[in-house]
Amino acid sequence: MSRRRTELVALARLDVHEVLRSRWPVAVVLLYSALAALLVFAALRESNVLGFTGTGRVLLSFAHGLLLLLPLLALSATGQTLNRAREEGALELLFGHPVSPGGYYAAVTLVRYGLLLVPLAAILLALPAITWATLGDPIPWAYLGRALAIGAALLWAFTGLGMALSAYVTSQARAAILVLLVWAGAVALVDFALIAVMLQWRLHAGTAFFLAALNPVQCARMALISGQDPELATFGPVGFFLAQRFGAGGLFALGIGWPVVAGTLAWLAGRARFRRGDLV
Amino acid sequence: MQIETRGLIRRFGSVVALAGVDLTIPSGLRIGLVGPNGSGKSTLLRVLMGLLEHEGEVRVGGFDPRRQRLELARQLAYVPQIAPALAASVTELARAVEALRDLDLAELRTRAEALGLRWSAIANVPLRALSGGMRQKLLVALALSARAGLLVLDEPTASLDAATRETFFHMFGELPATTTSILCSHRLDEMRHLVDHVVSLEEGHVRFDGPAANYLATRALSVIEVQLAAGADSGWLDDLGFAAGHAGWWRRTVAQREKVELLPRLAGMLDGRLVNLHVRDLESIAVDESREGS
Repeated sequence: MSRRRTELVALARLDVHEVLRSRWPVAVVLLYSALAALLVFAALRESNVLGFTGTGRVLLSFAHGLLLLLPLLALSATGQTLNRAREEGALELLFGHPVSPGGYYAAVTLVRYGLLLVPLAAILLALPAITWATLGDPIPWAYLGRALAIGAALLWAFTGLGMALSAYVTSQARAAILVLLVWAGAVALVDFALIAVMLQWRLHAGTAFFLAALNPVQCARMALISGQDPELATFGPVGFFLAQRFGAGGLFALGIGWPVVAGTLAWLAGRARFRRGDLV
Repeated sequence: MQIETRGLIRRFGSVVALAGVDLTIPSGLRIGLVGPNGSGKSTLLRVLMGLLEHEGEVRVGGFDPRRQRLELARQLAYVPQIAPALAASVTELARAVEALRDLDLAELRTRAEALGLRWSAIANVPLRALSGGMRQKLLVALALSARAGLLVLDEPTASLDAATRETFFHMFGELPATTTSILCSHRLDEMRHLVDHVVSLEEGHVRFDGPAANYLATRALSVIEVQLAAGADSGWLDDLGFAAGHAGWWRRTVAQREKVELLPRLAGMLDGRLVNLHVRDLESIAVDESREGS
């Protein structure tokens, strides 16, 4: 094994132990499960949600819930990573050994992202499996794959943002506030909220739609329903506008691609900041 | 591992932590780094390890600590002042360090046991569940087991009990003569037994850079306490700089050099008036009055 890979594995293993003992993965699993259970037992009563029926309907509702939940979980898991380790003296101890800042940054990211994604994948698979076993509904594999890809992209977007936040903001307390602000901004500035802002500020429609498309949550939402006919009621104004321009395939590609690009850019910016500045 | 700094400056906002530090420390020397709180000791250690950015030139073992931090870190072992309360267990940390650098786990275990840690009892315990002293012992054992060319110790015995400190002194004394060490401490016994050169910092400036014996002669303090018989003449004690206390006690704090000069004079003058006499060295050295170099 190369030295760089050895370093990555050693640091990732150490961080896995740190994270597992902190018990937030348990909280993540509980939140995913609670959301899934809520939708199975409550939302199923609705006969039709946005044109979806059966298991697809539950998955759609679940995925919509995840659009709100995943950014918060990813930001909470990462936004205070580096500043907390610095304040607690863990960085001082680790960097007294041959540990590269880039290696540490990558290892911590990998662990946090993995521990968010694996339970998500498990729940997303479990949900249709349960409805198939209990109700006999066929498993909507295509939609399942789409939801998983979108969830993974959205998680990466906010994992990257969170890591950048923890590299740029040295105070844990300030980072906690910023985590909430970023999350609130991301989930608020979609569709109608953005249109309201647009009207209030008399923004050009194209500008408002462009701003909306920059929001990974909005992108993910559009990708989620991109298999549908572009109806205003289903997509919302921003999604409808973009669906008309890009079509279903383009919307899906944008919904997956932009969160990945945004997360990667933020992650790289955070890594550059972490490597460049004081380590402790 | 030779250490050289030229015009080393480090600022934190408007605060100047290191204000142009020039040092040349030959390889194999055991350095005591002293200074009052906020004098720049920890900042200097962190700069030497490449953990902080700085202005000026720094070379440690020929490496630029910022640009060649990994190469330097492979030859360096560090004991931080405060051991972090990691959630990882002792074994998990030891395995991670073993993967990151040359570390003999059997030696680590032996050293940890010698320092009073029962390995079988702590192996699977998270660091955060250990006491501060136990964590410190583990970090000392880790550093000494790394067989590094440069050992950086930031108040390593602050949380250790007396017996463990003795063991640490013994282990430290057995380090190869080629090992350069920097020990940040306020303790007189550590300065006396573990270092042969002292660098004193004050407000980011080097105030003393010379042999430990010279430094301790003026900075290591002793307290002389004399109790005279009731009614005995005591004016001469006042002349010698003693301050009157309760119940016939007189007290004066002196440097080591003064102590050696004063005690024979005192013994000659006490005559039959002495009831009791205490002479004790203070554990901490005076670090805030230095002004001269060697």
